[in-house]
Amino acid sequence: MANLLRFHKIILEKIHDPSTSELLIIARGLGLRRIVCKLLQIYDSPQNLVLLVNASQEEESGIGEELGVLGCRNPGLRIVGFETGKKDRQDLYKRGGLLSVTSQIFTVDMLNGDIPTHLITGILVLHAEKVTPTSAEAFIVRLYREKNQTGFLKALSDQPEHITSGLSPLRTILKELQIRTVHIYPRFHVDVKASLDMKRPDVVELDQDMTEAMAEIHHAIVQCMTITLSELKRANSHLDLDELNVDNAYFRSFDMIVRRILHSEWHKVGPRTKQLVNDLATLRRLLNYLVTYDALAFHAYLETLIESNTTNELGNPRQNQSPWMLTDAANVIFQYAKRRCYTSSSTAKKQPTQRIEPTDDEEAWAVLDDLEGTNRTAASADRVDSAPKRPHWLPQRMDPVLEEQPKWSLLADVLQEIEEETMRLEPHQTPLSPGTNTVLIMTSSVRTCGLLREFLSSMDPKAPRGQQGRKMMENKLRLYLYWKSKLEKRTQDGRIPSATPTESKYRREDLEVSEALQRKDREKRERAMNRRRVRGGAPAVTSSRDAIESGQAVGINEVNIRQEAGEIAEFLSTQNGNVLQDPTANNEPLLLDFDASPEDYYGLLVPEETVIVRTYSDDTDDQMLQEIQPRFIVMYEPNLEFVRRIEVYRNSNPGLGVRVYFLMYKLSCEEGKYLTGLRREKESFERLIKERGSMLMPIFEEHRSGSGAVGDALIKTISTRIAGGRKDVTTEPSRVIVDIREFRSSLPSLLHASQLLIIPATLTIGDYILTPDICVERKSIPDLISSFNSGRLYTQCEMMSTHYKQPVLLIEFEEDKSFSLEAVADVKSYAKAGGKYATKKKPGAPSEGPTSVSATIQSKLVLLTLTFPRVRIIWSSSPYATADIFRDLKANNPEPDVEKAIVIGAEDDPDAGAGVNAAAAELLRTLPGITAKNVKHVMNKVGSVRQLCELSLPEVQEILGVEPGKACWEFIHLGERKQK
Amino acid sequence: PVVVPGTGNNIVINHRQRGNPVLECIRNVGKEFGDILADYQVGRTTGVLFISLKYHRLHPEYIHQRIEQLGHSYNLRVLLLLCDIKEHQEPIRELTKTCLINNITVMVAWNPEEAGYYLSTYKQFEHKPPDMIKERVDKDYHSMLRTALTSISKVNKTDVETLRTSLGSFADIARATSDQLQNLPGFGQVKAKRLKDAFEKPFRTST
Repeated sequence: MANLLRFHKIILEKIHDPSTSELLIIARGLGLRRIVCKLLQIYDSPQNLVLLVNASQEEESGIGEELGVLGCRNPGLRIVGFETGKKDRQDLYKRGGLLSVTSQIFTVDMLNGDIPTHLITGILVLHAEKVTPTSAEAFIVRLYREKNQTGFLKALSDQPEHITSGLSPLRTILKELQIRTVHIYPRFHVDVKASLDMKRPDVVELDQDMTEAMAEIHHAIVQCMTITLSELKRANSHLDLDELNVDNAYFRSFDMIVRRILHSEWHKVGPRTKQLVNDLATLRRLLNYLVTYDALAFHAYLETLIESNTTNELGNPRQNQSPWMLTDAANVIFQYAKRRCYTSSSTAKKQPTQRIEPTDDEEAWAVLDDLEGTNRTAASADRVDSAPKRPHWLPQRMDPVLEEQPKWSLLADVLQEIEEETMRLEPHQTPLSPGTNTVLIMTSSVRTCGLLREFLSSMDPKAPRGQQGRKMMENKLRLYLYWKSKLEKRTQDGRIPSATPTESKYRREDLEVSEALQRKDREKRERAMNRRRVRGGAPAVTSSRDAIESGQAVGINEVNIRQEAGEIAEFLSTQNGNVLQDPTANNEPLLLDFDASPEDYYGLLVPEETVIVRTYSDDTDDQMLQEIQPRFIVMYEPNLEFVRRIEVYRNSNPGLGVRVYFLMYKLSCEEGKYLTGLRREKESFERLIKERGSMLMPIFEEHRSGSGAVGDALIKTISTRIAGGRKDVTTEPSRVIVDIREFRSSLPSLLHASQLLIIPATLTIGDYILTPDICVERKSIPDLISSFNSGRLYTQCEMMSTHYKQPVLLIEFEEDKSFSLEAVADVKSYAKAGGKYATKKKPGAPSEGPTSVSATIQSKLVLLTLTFPRVRIIWSSSPYATADIFRDLKANNPEPDVEKAIVIGAEDDPDAGAGVNAAAAELLRTLPGITAKNVKHVMNKVGSVRQLCELSLPEVQEILGVEPGKACWEFIHLGERKQK
Repeated sequence: PVVVPGTGNNIVINHRQRGNPVLECIRNVGKEFGDILADYQVGRTTGVLFISLKYHRLHPEYIHQRIEQLGHSYNLRVLLLLCDIKEHQEPIRELTKTCLINNITVMVAWNPEEAGYYLSTYKQFEHKPPDMIKERVDKDYHSMLRTALTSISKVNKTDVETLRTSLGSFADIARATSDQLQNLPGFGQVKAKRLKDAFEKPFRTST
């Protein structure tokens, strides 16, 4: 654990007082974790009960670890999760100390009285930027303050960019947290500056040019983004979309901006607009992958994109493709991405201009000579015409280019320099001087991390620049070829329209029988495609991007890919087995995985010889820097937070010289992203400081506990609006039973705010039980659509109808979204839909296909009400409106009984009331052979989906029955890889 | 001319509804006027009352009278609500309560076209089995795989394709380690974790 810097101490002095509550906003990378840990350490004592809310799993373990280092081991921070039983939780709360709880459990426990709310010493809320009036944290604070006025509440945030909601975002947060003091510490704060600017690390910035092909692709992607954006603006001309520009589009939060602008009618916008927004996300990802992935992975990703975009679920061509895919720019992307990997010699012979770097290839062969020296004789046997030293697994007509990321060579140079530097400094070092010679390389993703590791371990330092990773790239190419053959299989399978699994199996057998025939067919088809390709493809290469008709371009791409995949698959089938063996098997790993085995690493190697490659993560990085104490750090990708971390690290270790190499692609999205990120953070801090200066302090109503609150509620209920309060007043507050899973939504919080008593329980049927007769199933609009599609709503309504007198479906729109369903008003679509139904009415024509797909949500609702005439529907424009309606419905009705509500519908289930892992259950439900009826049974028999996959056919059949069991087992194991 | 209600394939319309713009928007089904208790009889056992919120604001007692007249006739009783004002929250709340007490289902439409669409759909679907909204089982392998994997949040159809091509069967995907997943194009830590959670976390958690 590092010692605290001066500004850390100043902050702690300001906020540690356990009698006050405040909000702290600090710039990222300045060490929020240290402050949190120090605070927790101060409060740690069995007499205190301090709760940490809103920490993610990683943060929980990170904080726990760091507290351990600080000496809070007895018992330190304990984590309360879904796995902790109710009894254990109560016990933990009683014994006090530091606890980390998820918001959902905390709320439920406070409502159930499992946690002694009045005894809580204080709460620490992380990620305070996420607090909104409807969030779980706001609910927690309300419940907390109702019974506990003396405890403290410290809210912490290091994401000022996210505090943007509404007119006065800061005030909203303060109001919800019931806090009046706020401390803001940006990097430009005087105290921070004074502590960090004392000693600066030695920074070497290295700008790397992208290769020609990369620059082309980069340019084309940006062009595609511009096109998509303008398309989006045209499609929604009534909206103010000025905020949307390519600069913003670099960020993940861009999706948020788009969504916010389109928010009010998001569920009304057509599929086209949704597609465009998705496209933007895809394009942004592509930009990122361009600079991080290797050429082959990038190309493979593009192919997957095309594949999933041109065919729909049934393998037929898709109706509305992404518009950017049809542009010339997209063609440039695809062409260049492929050319970075390999060229096909059949066309290359005719078109020598196709190669981007003709000289490059010569060199490539030169390197190949060295690498493949051993099996030269074997390889040369099957190639006669040119370049006799091809690897034997390479298909005939493929010439590898295998362009490498330019940063790789740069990194190699940097490492070289560091080595020399270390040698130079060696004599000056004493064993006592701080720091190690370990080189730390930081990357943005695990993937890059793995890639660099592979590159560095297989690097050939003698090769010319841009060729050093040839060996690795070849291995990758081999894997890629194998992958490609799988892709082809998909397209082949996809063309066979199969209704049931059994039928498709039959078809496959058919395939095997007449294999020869099929092959003939395929050859014919291929030849046809070939012809088409030559016709369309030749101009595509010569006159490149401008002359081609855009629509054709993708068609050609598509055909190209298919055909190539076909060739490769064929080739592989002749080369059986050779390619499939693990090409990485003979690589000796020189680098150690820091995450996996720190002990090994410390025990075995001297720091001078180690290079550690890691990804940027959260505040854990601070600790990591302290542990490794590197003197040389390479930032492979720019990262704002990490720069600050290094500053903090440098300043908390006096006498340790740090050199940082900062690698960045020139004129790339990386650069733009970094600079815009800096600017955005600064602006948001300025905005917050301005708001703090002019803010009206929120006034909080005093909440009294116990009888006082009920009295308030009564006064409110007997308002003059209800005929002078003539209604009989019962002293019992009205209560609503709420399913535990519903605590993820904001409705329980609002119900509580409108003075209803919330009782959490695990319900089998329904989400809310208002009275003994009224059972409500809540559906937001996306929920409604998806549960109509999955048929889940049907089962739910069926269950509700059997067990309750008044089953209710609550259709809840979102607060600031427009209150209406999809635009059925579109006369054209209405006429079209109507027409289909009209023809459908003809007797003896049960055409299910097209109608069931195109049926609107309205017609499904109609069918639902016709099927379940007793199901009522509540249309609510927002959760607030729902709370009102619920209160209305409860008036003058008897209160529901918790025990009964839990048991209803769960008679045959011994575990009624137990929690269910929603994601796993959802996944299980989608498997064939598993229905709403037997899903419970399966969950009792099998532990997890993974376990289900391990079962044999008879075992599955024993659980599900013969037919469904077979369907399920076959689904799970179709396309199985052979175990090596 | 008095027509015996509910004989044919036509929607029977109450005379009161003459002049209602919704009538124009009922398409693809026959219409006839007749003496019925409801405003629209869209099936042998289905009656629909129609109210626009604008009218309701002016004559709040009207709908209550109509509901009273309706008594206990019809098996499925629908109140078709045309939401044509901005301050809809209060009237909808009030009508919801009334309808719940009187066993009436509320349907909300936002324009006459939508209202007409509802009416004609009711008639067309009179004898339709609920297959459309039931669980469907007959699908081919790829769409089943797609539905299964996309039920996990953050996983999109491109990812499904990536998973299938690089890992193989569903069981293979279930067996894949977190590192393997993270190495796939388009997969980050979060997505890999979601996948792992869905596959490996036990269904049941103790409370």
